[in-house]
Amino acid sequence: MFDKLLPTKKIILPNGKEVTEKPALMPFVVVAILVLTYMSAVITGFNVETIIKRIEQFFVILQQMVPPTWAYFPHIWQPLLDTIKMSLLGSLMGVLCALPLAILAASNITKWKWLSATMKFFLSLLRTLPTLIVALVATFVFGLGTVAGTVAIFLFTVAYVGKLLYEQIENANMDAYEAMNSMGLTTIQSFRYAIFPQILPNYLSTSLFCFEGNVRYASILGYVGAGGIGLLLNESLGWRNYANVGMILLLLVITVFIIETISEHYRKKLM
Amino acid sequence: MNVIEKQYKLEPNRRVTQLVTIFILCLLFVWSLSAIELEQLTTNGFTIAKNILVGMVQPDLSLLVNVTTSGVPYLLIETMAIAFLGTVVGSILAIPLAFLSASNIVPKPIAYVVRFLLILIRTIPAIVYGLMFIRVTGPGPFAGVLTMSLVSIGMLSKLYVDVIEDLDISILESMESIGCTTLEKIRFGILPQLLASFLSIVIYRFDMNLRDATVLGLVGAGGIGAPLIFAMNAYRWSEVGSILIGLILLILIVEYMSNKIRTKLVRG
Amino acid sequence: MIAFKQVQKQYPNGYSALKNVNLQIQQGEYVAIIGRSGAGKSTLLRCINRMHEITGGTLLVDEVDINTLKGKSVRQFRRNIGMIFQSFNLVTRVSVIKNVLVSFVPEMPFWRKLLGIFTEQQKKQALMALDRVGILDKAYVRVDQLSGGQQQRVALARTLAQNPKLILADEPVASLDPVTAHQVMDDFRRINKELNMTVIMNIHHVELALEYANRVIGIRAGEIVYDGAAKDVTEAVLRQIYNGQVEEGSSVVDVRQAVTN
Repeated sequence: MFDKLLPTKKIILPNGKEVTEKPALMPFVVVAILVLTYMSAVITGFNVETIIKRIEQFFVILQQMVPPTWAYFPHIWQPLLDTIKMSLLGSLMGVLCALPLAILAASNITKWKWLSATMKFFLSLLRTLPTLIVALVATFVFGLGTVAGTVAIFLFTVAYVGKLLYEQIENANMDAYEAMNSMGLTTIQSFRYAIFPQILPNYLSTSLFCFEGNVRYASILGYVGAGGIGLLLNESLGWRNYANVGMILLLLVITVFIIETISEHYRKKLM
Repeated sequence: MNVIEKQYKLEPNRRVTQLVTIFILCLLFVWSLSAIELEQLTTNGFTIAKNILVGMVQPDLSLLVNVTTSGVPYLLIETMAIAFLGTVVGSILAIPLAFLSASNIVPKPIAYVVRFLLILIRTIPAIVYGLMFIRVTGPGPFAGVLTMSLVSIGMLSKLYVDVIEDLDISILESMESIGCTTLEKIRFGILPQLLASFLSIVIYRFDMNLRDATVLGLVGAGGIGAPLIFAMNAYRWSEVGSILIGLILLILIVEYMSNKIRTKLVRG
Repeated sequence: MIAFKQVQKQYPNGYSALKNVNLQIQQGEYVAIIGRSGAGKSTLLRCINRMHEITGGTLLVDEVDINTLKGKSVRQFRRNIGMIFQSFNLVTRVSVIKNVLVSFVPEMPFWRKLLGIFTEQQKKQALMALDRVGILDKAYVRVDQLSGGQQQRVALARTLAQNPKLILADEPVASLDPVTAHQVMDDFRRINKELNMTVIMNIHHVELALEYANRVIGIRAGEIVYDGAAKDVTEAVLRQIYNGQVEEGSSVVDVRQAVTN
């Protein structure tokens, strides 16, 4: 890309042969990174002195989180389940909707170029928006509560699984598909029997992975009013009740860890 | 028993597992449906959705081209600066942690303790860190940088470890035969192997950090998130539209560039 | 000149890899060491540049008892010996020329090492080395885009850039296809003739060894059982090297055990 802009140098060897030296990009990259870092530091007001002087504040809060308020547990239980339900429902529906969208976006299955290109653009557009922002917008449309969170997770899942899925479909082996097509099966039928078995393990594995991530995301969606445990997190942080925050985080870490362990177990089996 | 019978016997087994899996999924689906409370649905939701779309189509152009600190361009630059500096700091801090959690470099117990610490760092939501760092630096983009650094560490070190664990160490043997010292072996044998992969991972993380940085504004840690939420709460949809358009454009461009550079780094 | 005098090598686990080896190799010879895997070929080769320590006897390289060398002087000593490996041992993620330039690293001042900035002179030498093995046009290509034969030539160029008196090659063509193997062997022969560099090569491919080397050393269970001109190697000699049944009491089983050890 950039190497054409840089000056090249000719090296003449003692035996008369000429070699054009390829300019080294690295020094320019290093300088660019240093300049950008400096500019970013200026824009963001980065200050090492402040960190050294006041970083203990961070640990003060951490200390206040221990020990967590055990008595808070009964209050957390329900919102935590809500969070899991939200991510489960959003993931399940998202995964199911991602399949037809991915088929439409795969240029080797969809015959109309404009359709697959539009679908691809739509999916990458969906992916650009951070989940929390989508959730925020959703709270305005669907009201405060779990529906908004579910919608946000649903949209993210469609975008994420959809993209990985259409890439897999495009990389699938087409021989069997063409054979079935020539035998007179419809596009859908040929897809079902030739491509689907190839992508199924990956599809399930991607879905599980997405679900894992969604549980994490769902935990903060409550912060913008989209239901679940984030609501309590917001509340406790607002009141600076860090022992409660500690309890919520502890429960969250355990939940995420359990879900990740289960999902990882099944993903390994699928591979 | 011939092969065909054997196959026939295998078939029902798999069908049972499939049915059970589908049954469990249905149960989970029904159970999770209980989270939906439709009575919360506001009747004017449709109007608002329409307004947002209208706002997107008719954005506040003066905000989009405004070059002062309250304009969309400056806010986007600030968001990028938060993500960039956070990635730089995080990617440097993650290096020692990655080496400490690579089981082919340090004893297993140390590796496991560090790995557990990294899981902890990764699980706690960025917003929580954001609020904690605001206590350190006061509200503003500085808190956002610290947050981004911390959340980057978790994922970066995990991905670094994979690279470290499949280093090709045969090169060290040939450097030994050339007469290189240990430091020379690290500089010319190990570093060149790590550099391209690490850089590719860091660029990927920058892409993610940019999305996360937009969210930090919600807690007052700088970036474009705060103006977005203000505009929404005030129902100024054309403003919301211009901020969202700027955000989408930025993320699309950065994603495109980062994919290009990463392919080049991997394939050479 | 290299001289082995009653050289012994015993590994810490008690396995004897070299037993009483006596050997003289003159400057400019092209020697192939043949024998079964595990017979001690690799150990013999690696003792010469102190990648392995000998446990008995003396090993003189250019009149220097290499066992007396320590730390820095070992590294200094290795500068004059090139080594080629079966698996090429290159940094595949960087360009060909950078791999060749590595051979200058030990001589560079500290700041140049740190920044990885090489002099014009070094770059020219590296390019000359690449030209000598016929891959000058690949100088700025990344190594992982080259074929196996080309990669082994990069390794050869890296060794040539060192300007050694002696090249040790440990199964240099074992991971190459027959045609490429011949090309690489041709490179070795040319370098041996034109630059008068000694080449000592481990090779399990007997035909190649007989075709290219002047002298063949057969080794079996840590002992030299044949040492003579390549043209004098007969079927009987090969049987002696590979089966070990001809003389002494050692049976095939003994050799196998030695192999598995």
